[in-house]
Amino acid sequence: MSGGILRSVAEDGGIMNMLWRGLTAALVAVLPVAAALGNEKAEPDPAKSQYWPPIRQMMFGEREILDGKDVVRVYLSTRADDASTVPVAVKAQIDQTPGQYIKQVYLIVERNPSPAAGIFQFTPDSGRAQVETRLRFEDFSFVRAIAETSDGKLYMASRWVKAAGGCSAPGDKNRMPANVVGTMKFRFADETVEAHKPALVQLMIRHPNESALASDFDGARTPQFVRHVQVTYAGKPVMSADVDFSISDNPSFRFYFVPEKEGELRAIVEDTHDKRYQYKETIVEGVPLPGG
Amino acid sequence: MDRCRIAALFLAWMAVAPGHAADAVEAFTVMEIAPGNFVHYGRIEERSPDNLGDQANIGFIVGERCVAVIDAGGSLAVGQALRAAIRRTTDKPVCWVILTHMHPDHCFGAAAFREDQAVVVGHENLPRSMGQRARPYLNALKRDLGERAAGSEVIPPTLLVRDEMVLDLGGRSIRLKAWPVAHTDNDVTVVDEGTGTLWLGDLLFVSHTPVVDGKITGFIEVLDQLSTLRVARFVPGHGRTDAPWPQALQPERDYLALIVRETRAAIKRRKTIEEAVDEVGLSERDKWVNFDDYHRRNVTTAYTELEWE
Repeated sequence: MSGGILRSVAEDGGIMNMLWRGLTAALVAVLPVAAALGNEKAEPDPAKSQYWPPIRQMMFGEREILDGKDVVRVYLSTRADDASTVPVAVKAQIDQTPGQYIKQVYLIVERNPSPAAGIFQFTPDSGRAQVETRLRFEDFSFVRAIAETSDGKLYMASRWVKAAGGCSAPGDKNRMPANVVGTMKFRFADETVEAHKPALVQLMIRHPNESALASDFDGARTPQFVRHVQVTYAGKPVMSADVDFSISDNPSFRFYFVPEKEGELRAIVEDTHDKRYQYKETIVEGVPLPGG
Repeated sequence: MDRCRIAALFLAWMAVAPGHAADAVEAFTVMEIAPGNFVHYGRIEERSPDNLGDQANIGFIVGERCVAVIDAGGSLAVGQALRAAIRRTTDKPVCWVILTHMHPDHCFGAAAFREDQAVVVGHENLPRSMGQRARPYLNALKRDLGERAAGSEVIPPTLLVRDEMVLDLGGRSIRLKAWPVAHTDNDVTVVDEGTGTLWLGDLLFVSHTPVVDGKITGFIEVLDQLSTLRVARFVPGHGRTDAPWPQALQPERDYLALIVRETRAAIKRRKTIEEAVDEVGLSERDKWVNFDDYHRRNVTTAYTELEWE
């Protein structure tokens, strides 16, 4: 298992559970104010956001957070087209070398009921610390990407996004049959891979990723959403993530790995109902890969 | 055959919001497009404090015993304007408020008919889908209309349509049909059987860019089923047209089919969702009003559906 610290916390009830409970409590206090003031159409100053200090305190305490522009950037369109599916890309501006690399990226949607959308872990074997996924937005919000480098420093990039209503609107209009949940596939950006050259792959997971916000779930039932994703290549960790229902239904993660001549790319996914799903594919240099 | 007769109804907006004469309801007009079938054509524009969410085509059907409202408008104020128009047309009670689907421009006026004790009618999926979106819809309405959103409410249906249902208005029956996932997962159409008038809700957009908030392939299938119906007159959810039935469905079907075709092609060429959104369907831009407000969202929805094929 990769991400030792995080996993050991996770063993103990789950860092995302902990964050979720804490932040939900913190935000319940803030939300009525937000609704009353919710008229901001112009882009606000990320340093002045009233939502950020409690999240920052909960997740990073007193640790210094540096300007991220030379280390990490976050890409998404300012005016999102569909609040339940907002594509986002977090891209490292530094190389992954054994000497210095990004070991973790925190992806935060400030105004979501569970702001910590994902905590992604990378290794020097990841090739590049980069992840693309799709997010739900409850309200106009800053998105923060905080990269933690191997020397323990934190770097932040922020983007303002105008999208609202995407959390309470789970995209499960088509009522996913139980036997489909947990189906996965890999989509490769290129038709073939070359040994030792970082390759982009998208992991697609069939899952309703139900939002805990939806109003008419009965109280006895815990919403079912993906909690943990782990991807290995040839037995070595490539990317792992603790995630939440801020991720859109049918969660998608796109990232790099570094193939050899031949090796197995494997994904293991766990959800809140303790379901565990696996998928693997053997990747051979020069042999056509799915993706089209 | 009756000539269409226009009933222009002027509402004293003062009664609704003192000091704010919003032009949307100053002159709230309804048109009798077939005997007993009255339509108010909404505006094709973004919701604003000036238009009060008067965006959808809404209306009512009058029987010998009862009135059935078809969609209540985008705010309490629009619902009240519709109610005033009904009161100037007939003294029959409003027995039903039929919501053709969950979207706010069709539903937020329903509270205007509470005093009539009208039964709210909708698709069997409507309570669930509406419940999931009620809060964000209301927040967005408040953001757009400010204090003029006051009194607007999401009211869930208590009479649910599964497959088909006939309502007797007294000497006039109307047939409601619940469709599979298309524009949304809770689309209902209404046919006034005597006059052959079909109320489509947002299964038909005219001029206004079609919106896919359900399933794009399902939307096309439903359009193909609708095109086989014998219809004398029809009411789109947005916009108006002189085109005959079923040719009037064609521009929307062409638009949706183009998105499906080009999104599938983009997926096949290993394009990402962002790349697809930037390139799919742009040849349709000049054919629709407000294309830039809805088109990219439609491609996003299509891509997330079609990438699993």
